[in-house]
This record gives sequence, C-alpha cells and structure tokens, in this order.
Amino acid sequence: MIKVAPSDQPAPLFALRGICRTYGAGETAVRALIDVDLDIAGGELIVLLGPSGSGKSTLLNILGGLDRPSAGAIHFRGAPLTGQSEQALTKYRRLHVGFIFQFYNLIPSLTARENVELVGEITDDPLEAAEALDLVGLGQRLDHFPSQLSGGEQQRVAVARAIAKRPAVLLCDEPTGALDVKTGVRVLEALQEVNERYGSTTLIVTHNADVARMGARVIRFGDGRVRSVETNTDRVPPSDLVW
Amino acid sequence: MRALDKKLFRDVWRMRVHALGVALVLGCGLSVMVMAVGMRGSMERTRAAYYAERRMADLAVSAVRAPERMAEVLAQAPGVETVETRVSGVALLDFPGVSEPASARLVSLPIEGRPRVNDLTLARGRWPDPARANEILLSQAFADANNLGLTDTLNATIHGRRQTLRIVGIANSPEFVFVAAPGELFRQAKRFGVIWMNREALARAYDLDGAFNDAVFLAGRNANQSETIAAIDRILEPYGGIGAYGRDRMVSDRFLSEELRQLSTMAIFLPALFLITAAFLVNIALGRVIATERSNIGLLKAFGYSNADVACHYAKSALIFAAIGAFIGSAAGIALGRSVADLYRDYYHFPTLEFSASPATFLGAWAAGLAAALTGCIFSVLKAARLSPAEALTPPRPTTFFSAGPALSRFEANLDAKSRIIMRRIVRFPRRAGTTALGVAFAIALLVVARTMPAEMDYLLDVNFGVANRQDVTLTFTEARDSGVLHQVERLPGVLYAEPFRLDDVILRHNGRTVHEAVFGVPEHARLSQIVGRGQRVMAPPATGIALARALAEKLGARPGDEIRLEQTRGRRIATNVRVTAIVEPMIGSSAYMEIAALSRLMREPGRVSGAHLRMDPGRYGAFDREIKDIPNIAGVSYVGQAEASMRSEFEQGVGVMNLIYAAFAAIMAGGVAFSAARITLAEQERDLATLRVLGFTRLEVSYILVGELMALALIAIPAGLALGTLLSIWLMQLFQTDMYAFPFVFNPAGYAFAIAFTLGCVATTAMVVRASIDKLDMIAVLKARD
Repeated sequence: MIKVAPSDQPAPLFALRGICRTYGAGETAVRALIDVDLDIAGGELIVLLGPSGSGKSTLLNILGGLDRPSAGAIHFRGAPLTGQSEQALTKYRRLHVGFIFQFYNLIPSLTARENVELVGEITDDPLEAAEALDLVGLGQRLDHFPSQLSGGEQQRVAVARAIAKRPAVLLCDEPTGALDVKTGVRVLEALQEVNERYGSTTLIVTHNADVARMGARVIRFGDGRVRSVETNTDRVPPSDLVW
Repeated sequence: MRALDKKLFRDVWRMRVHALGVALVLGCGLSVMVMAVGMRGSMERTRAAYYAERRMADLAVSAVRAPERMAEVLAQAPGVETVETRVSGVALLDFPGVSEPASARLVSLPIEGRPRVNDLTLARGRWPDPARANEILLSQAFADANNLGLTDTLNATIHGRRQTLRIVGIANSPEFVFVAAPGELFRQAKRFGVIWMNREALARAYDLDGAFNDAVFLAGRNANQSETIAAIDRILEPYGGIGAYGRDRMVSDRFLSEELRQLSTMAIFLPALFLITAAFLVNIALGRVIATERSNIGLLKAFGYSNADVACHYAKSALIFAAIGAFIGSAAGIALGRSVADLYRDYYHFPTLEFSASPATFLGAWAAGLAAALTGCIFSVLKAARLSPAEALTPPRPTTFFSAGPALSRFEANLDAKSRIIMRRIVRFPRRAGTTALGVAFAIALLVVARTMPAEMDYLLDVNFGVANRQDVTLTFTEARDSGVLHQVERLPGVLYAEPFRLDDVILRHNGRTVHEAVFGVPEHARLSQIVGRGQRVMAPPATGIALARALAEKLGARPGDEIRLEQTRGRRIATNVRVTAIVEPMIGSSAYMEIAALSRLMREPGRVSGAHLRMDPGRYGAFDREIKDIPNIAGVSYVGQAEASMRSEFEQGVGVMNLIYAAFAAIMAGGVAFSAARITLAEQERDLATLRVLGFTRLEVSYILVGELMALALIAIPAGLALGTLLSIWLMQLFQTDMYAFPFVFNPAGYAFAIAFTLGCVATTAMVVRASIDKLDMIAVLKARD
C-alpha cells in the first residue's frame, strides 16, 4: 500500500531520481530510460516531447504504475512508488491516476455516460458522469455508444472518464495522435479546462512540437534521456495551436 | 507443400487449443457411435455365429407328456428340419456354503451323442458319462457366482425326490445366454442356474419314461414359422402341448435383442448431442478465425487466389478438426468397445465376443464427424469467399452495440457497468451465446438422463418390492394344493404370515390375437402380493371378471367390458370366456389378475392354491431353510427380499459406471463449449479488459467480466438443460419400455440438482483456467494498440 503524504505539503507530486528502464538483457538490451531526475509539482501541465523511442511513453507508463523502473526511485506525494506490489499499484491507479490513450480505449458495449460511470464505481467521490461529459462538451450525447461517436468525441469521453475520479494526475499518451487538428484542439481544450478547474497534474506525451506551446513546462526526450526542461513563459491556449 | 497449406497448418497450430476442444467434443460423439454400432455388429455376429455353431433352436414347445414316438411325427411336420425331445423341469438345489436353497432349470441331455439342437459349449470339465445318472453339466454363470467347480456335488430336490448330483463339466448354451427363474424378469446368477443331465434319470424323476415334456426344433431354410407352429401344436395337442413359439418368445434371445435395440438407441442419441455441439463450436471458432484473418483474405484475393481457393483453405481447417476428432473418436470407440465387450462376455458367457467395428462403421462415424464440421464451417467459409478484396483490406467496422430494448433496459438500469458489459455482449452475439448455452444445456441434459434412469429403475424396484411383491419368500408347489396346506406352511419356523396365490399358465385370445401369459389369483385383502393400479396405487382384485396389465390389454386389443377367451395350458386345460373388468399397471410383467377364489372356481379346482407368499422373521431363516429343503412337493423357493438386495446392488454397480461415463461426457461437453467461449471472449475483449486494468480495476474485478459472462450463459442454460433432459429421459424410457417393464417418468430432484451443480462446476473451472490469462494482460500494449 502506498502511503501518500497530505497534498498540501511542499514536497513535489512526483520526485524521480536516477530512473532507468532497460528492456531485455545482454547484447539485445534496450535502454529506454537513462538516469532521469525530475520533480513534478501538483497542478502542473507538462508536455513530454520527443521522437518515437525517445523514452517519453516509458516514463508515462512508470508514472502511471504500469511499468517499473530497472533502477532509481520515484516518490509520489513523498511516498515511494517503486518496489510496490501489483495490488498496491492497481490501487494507486484506481485512486490517483487518470489515463487518456491515443485510441480512446472506450468500452464499446457501454454508452458515453456508462463509460464514465465505470470509473465512478471504483472511486469514492466521483464526478457525476453527466457533469464530466458536460465539461468536455458532450452533455448532449450521454447515451450514445462509442461506435455512434466521432474520434474526437470518443477522445473527449475518454477525458471525461479520466477526470471523473478527480485524479491527482492525468496521463495522456498522444491524445491527439489519431485526430485531425480541429478535433485535436477540442480535446486539448478539454484537458486544459480540467487542469485548471480541478488542479490535476497533467502530463501530455506527444511528438507534435506545436502541442508543447500549451504546456507550463516542456520536457524534451532523446535516446532515453531528458535533453531539456523548459518553462514556457509564453503559453498559448489550445485554440491557437495549429499543426 | 503449397504456401497456403503451410499457412493452414500454422493457423491450426495457433488455434490448437480450440481445435482440441472441438475434436474432443466430436471425439466423444464418434466414440459412442463407433462403440455402439461396432458393439451391435459384434454382438449380432457373435450371436449369429454362436447360434449357428451350436444350432440354436428356432422353435420350442412344452407339453405335459408326449410319447417319444411323437418325435418322429414332429420331425415330419412341415418346416421342421431337426427335432430334439427333452425332459425338462425345475429343481431346488442345496449345496455347502449356501444356506438358502437355489434352484435350477433341468434339461435332459440326449441318451446318445450331443444335443442336435441347442448344443452346449463345454467351458471346463467333460461330458457326463451316460452310464452314470448323477453326473451333470452346470451353467457357467451359476457355477461362477456360487464358486462351484468340477467334482463338487449338489443336492437337488427333483419332483419331490432328493438326489445328489456331481458336477463333471461347466457349460454354456445359446438357449440360456440370459437366465432367469420362471416368472422372474431379472437375472440372479447366484440363485438360478441350468443343469444338463442324464435323460433317463430325469425322465424317471418326472415319471416320463419313454416320453418327453419339452422339444426344441431347427426350422428349414424356407420354413413358414406360423405354419410350422400350427403343425407342432396340432401334433402335440393331445399330449398337453402348450403352444410352440419362436425365438421372439425365448427369454434369452429376447433379452439379447433388447440389448441390441438399446445399443442402437445409444448409437443415435449420444452422438447426436455431441455432433450438434461440435458443429456449433466449429462455427464459432472459424467465425473468429475469419474475422481476425480479414486482411489476409483481402491479400490472398489481391494476389489472385480465387474465392474457391480461399473457401477451401478455411474449410480445410474444419476438416482438420474433424480428422482429429475422428481419430480420437475411433481410438476411444475401440477402447470403449473392447471394455464393453469384456463386460458382455463376462455377463453373457459368450464363448467368444471380440469387439470389432467394420470399416463401414468407421466410415460412417468419420462421415458424421465430417458432416458436423462442414455444417459448422459453411457460413463462415461462405462469408470468407464472398468478401471482396477491397473491403477485406479496409479495417473492419467496429462492433456496434445497441441498447437492449425497453424491457431489458429497465433490468440493465439495476446492474453495475461490468454486468452491463456482460449482458450487452450476450445480446449482441446471440448465436455465440446460444452455442455456449446449448452446449451447457446438453451437458445438463446428459446428467439429468444419467440420474433419471437409475431413479426410474429404483422406483420400479420400490413399487415392485414395496407394493406388488412385499413378501420375503415365495413358495411354489409342484402342483396346485388344497388351501389347507397354508396351515402347514404357517407352522414352518420363522413364518409370520402366509398368503396363498394361484398361478395359471394360460393362452388368452381376443379379436384373433393370441397371447401366452400367466393369470395370478390374488386374495381380496392381499397384504403381500398386491395388484398395482393407476398411479402405482394398490388395487383390490376385481370381484368378477379379469384384470389385464396394460401391456397385455394392448397386445390383445382388449378393453374393459370385452370378453376374452382363456385357455389353461396345463391340468384340466379349461377353456372359457371371461370379461375384462379392469386394466392395471404393474411396472414389471404383463400378467392378468383375478380374485383367487374366482380363478380356482374358473379352473374347476375350488380351494386349490399354487403356492404361498410368506412374511418371515428375519432371525429365523436358518431354521426355515433347513426345514424347507426336506419338504417334498415344493417346486421353488424364491427369496424375494434377497432378490431385491442383489438386484439393487447389481443395478448400483451398473449405475456407478454409467454415471462416471456420463459425467465425463458432460464435463467434456460443458468444458469444451465454456473453454471455446471463454477463449473467444478473452481474445475479443483483451483490449477492453487491459484498459480496465489500466484504469485501476483489480484482476478480480476484470475476471468477473469473463467468468460472469460464462456463468450467466450457464445459468440461462439451466432451464433449457433440465427441460431437454426431462424430455430425453421420457423418450429414452419409452424406447426402453417393453411388455416386461413399464417406466413412468420419475422426477429426481437430487439428480437435477447434481446436474446443475456439476455442470456449473465444470463451466466455472474452465472459466477459471482461462481467467489466468487476465493476469498476463499487457497493459502497456493497449495504450498503443488500435482496436
């Protein structure tokens, strides 16, 4: 069980020290992450930028409790995330993490409302499904099944599903990767809205440099290493993004 | 090997678990088919060879006393090829190690040479020396059951005289493959056997010097049986001929024919259930393959493969399933057949009985398996053939779900999201859900059948021994005696109560139909041997007229109010008309019943009885047995209470084996469909289930979706399975019903509960095995994977 310190303490939400992730062994070993040190504060909107295979998604998976680092330590609200059992990581995801996937990953047999209610069933104080869907502009399409929604709409349902549990952290893996610009912008607007309204720390993985312009910080990855961390002094709203 | 064939074998290897599931289900059905058809053929061949080699009689007749010179006359009768006259009777036996007397049918051996009809096979020992009157051959089943061997001696009370007989050989006869005591319908190898002995000694005992009371015949190749029977009857009429009859009325042959009929039923009923299930399984498995191979189908067609090539390619995988199933079924069928042949050989003492299934049997089974697989694959294969290359190369449209309709929606509203996923998948894929439910229902039905049949047999025994034959012992006199003899019987040690009965062997005639049966005379207030009426309730004997068992009434075409002709076959040979006043429903036998005084008056023997049913003091059998052995004029002592115990134990052994086989079949059936359904559900929902794990659902919660779907389908299958099992039980019981047994349907709640619990257990176990894959779901892959 991960013992989480109260969130009003000054400790960063995530503290990463010397994180390495190596897949395989010997000559075929792939070093996906090398010596990553990072602090992430609560409520930040961070864009992780880099080409395919640069390590950004690996970091996201480790932060989400889906993968474990080969070396190094991560603390979440001051409590160690590394070395935890499978059950403890499941509970961590259940209580604190919202995921948004490139291909939405909605349950096809549940309506938009039910997809959102799904996560409500495993958390203590969820948002009303209608409220969460309203927030992403889908208040009128509550009872549609995923196959009846466009890609952008499906992704916004995924955002609503992710925020319904009022997560401490929203992890978004290429959330606009499968969308055209117009719908991609709508999804990013929804993410920013959630970030601002609920203070959920939001990490957006993308290889789209334009998206980086909306982040408070931009972390650039290359060959498994953090190449740069930039604080964005000139953030632009998603509606001004073009790619 | 063509590239496409290489792909075929790799595809089949990839789906080997599915293939094995289908092949096992198919194999179960085909094994029963090979066993039952092969066994039927083997039995028929063995019987035919045995009958031919040992010259089994085509016709038989009994008479009171016919002079031996009539043998010549009988031999001249039209259609008669060979005649063998004999002296026959029944004796009480007593031998060391057995307290209660057993009895045996006595059959004389020819004075010279071996029997020309119904010849014997010597299992051990030698033929009796014609010069030694006390040497006998004993039937093998009886000898084995009582551990009697060569040089052992038996004390026999033959026609009231005690004789010591020495066993010199153990033998079998085609006439007595199945042996039951007169008037009894169950085999009791320990209590009743056959003795073949010196003709002159037997004739002396029965006062039949220079005469015979039994004859068996071989009929000529072109003989007309009814003409021959009529001729024999005419010849023996002055000598108390009871009426000749063919093999259809020879008890042993009838039982064998019944056994063969049951094998035929089994050859159809069980394989049908398995083949239907296998066809559905192939349909589901291949449907899934073709859905996942969609783009490959597009590529193959784009490369220039024709629609027929593609259809053949996928049909071949169904054929491989069928081939594996045929192999399993053939091998298991042979193994099953061999063990059943061992059972039959031991039970019936056939000199040889080797299981062998003809090439036609195998070809038939393979064709059935092939037909099931092809039927199962036809829709999927046609779909693959019809798919245009352009369409096949585009990603498939996502599965569209829809609301389940107003009635189900209200139900859905009360469910949590995971249960809704389960329900909508069931509604969305009805064919697949139906297949799983059908397989589970078949498994339940099999178990219901397996549990109902013994319950019906139990009920039959309960009614027979609890209502119809409540006596502990039945004494039969050598001839009808004055009812005063009852006082003597009641004075025997251990006898608490004696109830007289009368039994007359008669020919009943009505509307040109003739039936040879027994009429029982039953006291008005019978306490031991009672008449069973409608609903298995006790009925008093009719005050006037005669009551007919339903099977007998049907054979005669007689209804209450009809007058029928009754002809006594022994004694005074009274022939008279009597009115049918009731139809009764004994579960065993098809006799007629009258009030005892009325029957004895009708037979012009007022006050004379054939025997007595006794209620015994359980602690005093020893004294009773010692005394009874020395009383003359007792033709038979039947220990009904012990007969019940031995019958029940024999049935229980048989039932135990049957239950085991049916449980194995049900497990394969339920496990097979559940496994197939679970694997496909898992494959289709892998991404959704992994997504749920990423969202924070525990393994247990995610497993619920997989296991819950299967269990929901299994629950849906319960009422269908119970209903199907009930219908099958009723149908099978009607098939097994003969004029000897009548089975009403018996509801056996414990059997139903077992069927449900066992099948649900199989489904749950299978689901839990497949569930383990959920622990290995790749959560990271789903983040990237497109549906």
